Amino acid sequence: MNPAISKGGRRALWAMFVLLTIFLYAPIVILIIFSFNNREIVSFPWEGFTTRWYHEFLRNSELLNALKTSAFVALLTAIMTTALAVPAAIAFVRRRFFAKGLVSGILLAPLVIPLVVFGISLLILFNTIGIPQSALTIAIGHIVIALPFAILVLVPRIERIPPSLEEASRDLGAGGLTTFRLITLPLLFPALISAALISYTISFDEVVVASFINGEATTFPLYLYSQLRLPRKLPAVIAVAVVVMVVSVLVVVASEVGRVLADRRLERQTGGSVEELALSGGKG
Amino acid sequence: MMHASMDDPTTPAISLRGVTKRFGDVTAVDDVSLDIREGEFITLLGPSGCGKTTTMRMIAGFEEPDDGQILLRGHDVVGIPPNKREVNMCFQHYALFPHMTVEENIAYSLRLKKVPKDQRHGEVVKMLEIVRLEGYEGRRPGQLSGGQQQRVALARALINEPAALLLDEPLGALDVKLRKQMELELKRIQLELGTTFVYVTHDQEEALSMSDRIAVMNAGVIEQLGTPREVYDHPDTPFVADFVGVLNAVELRVDTKDGEDAVMRIDDAERIVVPAAGAGEGAMLLVAVRPERIQLEPGETDGAAGSRVTGKVAQVVYLGTLTQFHVDTRIGKRFVVHRLSDEGTAGVAEGDTVTLTWTREDASILRESV
Repeated sequence: MNPAISKGGRRALWAMFVLLTIFLYAPIVILIIFSFNNREIVSFPWEGFTTRWYHEFLRNSELLNALKTSAFVALLTAIMTTALAVPAAIAFVRRRFFAKGLVSGILLAPLVIPLVVFGISLLILFNTIGIPQSALTIAIGHIVIALPFAILVLVPRIERIPPSLEEASRDLGAGGLTTFRLITLPLLFPALISAALISYTISFDEVVVASFINGEATTFPLYLYSQLRLPRKLPAVIAVAVVVMVVSVLVVVASEVGRVLADRRLERQTGGSVEELALSGGKG
Repeated sequence: MMHASMDDPTTPAISLRGVTKRFGDVTAVDDVSLDIREGEFITLLGPSGCGKTTTMRMIAGFEEPDDGQILLRGHDVVGIPPNKREVNMCFQHYALFPHMTVEENIAYSLRLKKVPKDQRHGEVVKMLEIVRLEGYEGRRPGQLSGGQQQRVALARALINEPAALLLDEPLGALDVKLRKQMELELKRIQLELGTTFVYVTHDQEEALSMSDRIAVMNAGVIEQLGTPREVYDHPDTPFVADFVGVLNAVELRVDTKDGEDAVMRIDDAERIVVPAAGAGEGAMLLVAVRPERIQLEPGETDGAAGSRVTGKVAQVVYLGTLTQFHVDTRIGKRFVVHRLSDEGTAGVAEGDTVTLTWTREDASILRESV
């Protein structure tokens, strides 16, 4: 307990924490409640518990197709983004090159470019060079959005792999690619999973960019958005939203737990000296 | 031309010829030439930034020289990547692969060479025997102590029977007691296998205790190359004298010559005598003498031969086996004297007047100017 904070101050901090938590999670709780409410209109009063909205969405082929499209786009995004982010992150950490600051600025820019602007730009670009819009064009847009996140997840992990491990591998007879396969990649694996999952989630719920370049394809968020005009279908949409949310939370929690465990294991294996190793690069 | 030298015992294991390496404006290694003999234990000794690690990394192939040649058993290896060079390296913090077992670590190079698994296992067992870690095959690096990790790193680097083993401050991360023990172990393994060891350190004790020869480096050049005894007893330069061991150095003008010896008189009873065939009267000599070569007697005494200086004891430091006396001498220079602790010097205390004496052979000349 921090003695520098008075009793009153501590109470105030707790109150703030509770309020913030309510502010963050109340909408989600409401959503979950309504998904079980036996009423055609999404509002109170409570008219009894039902799971019929869940049954309904399982029969809605349009909705299931949208989910499938989203799953495909997100999977493609996750794989491609991670594949692109790994070499980029390694280059940032290990190499010195011309205009490094500028290059990192360009790669990380999608973090700050408004999605609406980016969506319009992509639309114009695809039209100009004549690429037909489809699930693939959505994936291209999502890769650009997800790439900075994936890089930012990978960089700290690479920073903690001592360059001397790669040098030792080279010294013992491995070429660059073999070293990457046998040493760098296995040590990078937990962060690789994190990067892929983050890319997946970013893609899965992205609606703005997708709405510009989806062509005939409909992703889950796009479908959700379009259904808002039809109040009759709303309860089922809410039910599927709850399912998606629960699945996402489980996946993220599982991956975080896995990452922390893997980190601890690496820490134990190297006797906690990873940082020390990383710092002792070139000298003498 | 490419082959004749392989088994010729006179061909150096490693030969550096005019090797230079610059990082930007800094010349890290400056025109270094050095022949390392087959089976030799050679140490590159120097302070951090002296170029010793860069020199080693150039031999390993992690840095390329800007100038000069590096010959491995007679073949120029400049431009050849580290994975194609017949040397292996022991890294400062061992650099064991954390996701592999001890066996997988040691067998790494054999695995790359596609040696069959059961043969690999046999080799690993043999290496573990040599480094005295029998039965540790299945452990992970994180489960080993620093000294054990060091042994695994050694086994991993030696299993390939390299032309030379490069060791980059390998004992730096160990505590003192373990370090002393590993020094003996390293020397034993080196003698047992007959491998050429190139050892980089800033620790002069390590260098003196293990090496066949020491190359003392400073500011990118080799200041002196010689056996530990040569380097310690007859340093060529002030830097070597100062870096290897504690040193008393004083600059004085030659008053008279006594045969081969230069004599520098302080007063009637006190003088410094040093063999100096080349130096004439009036020359300025920087004379050095090691702390343990100086005799220390209470009071003012006089005698015939050798050097003699009196002074006042400023500090007495008890070091266990040795006692260290800091003496402010009449010539205005503080001298450090090491004596065995059980001698008659036990009664000497701070403030006492003492006489320091040493023979003419115990002093050496670091620099001469007119």
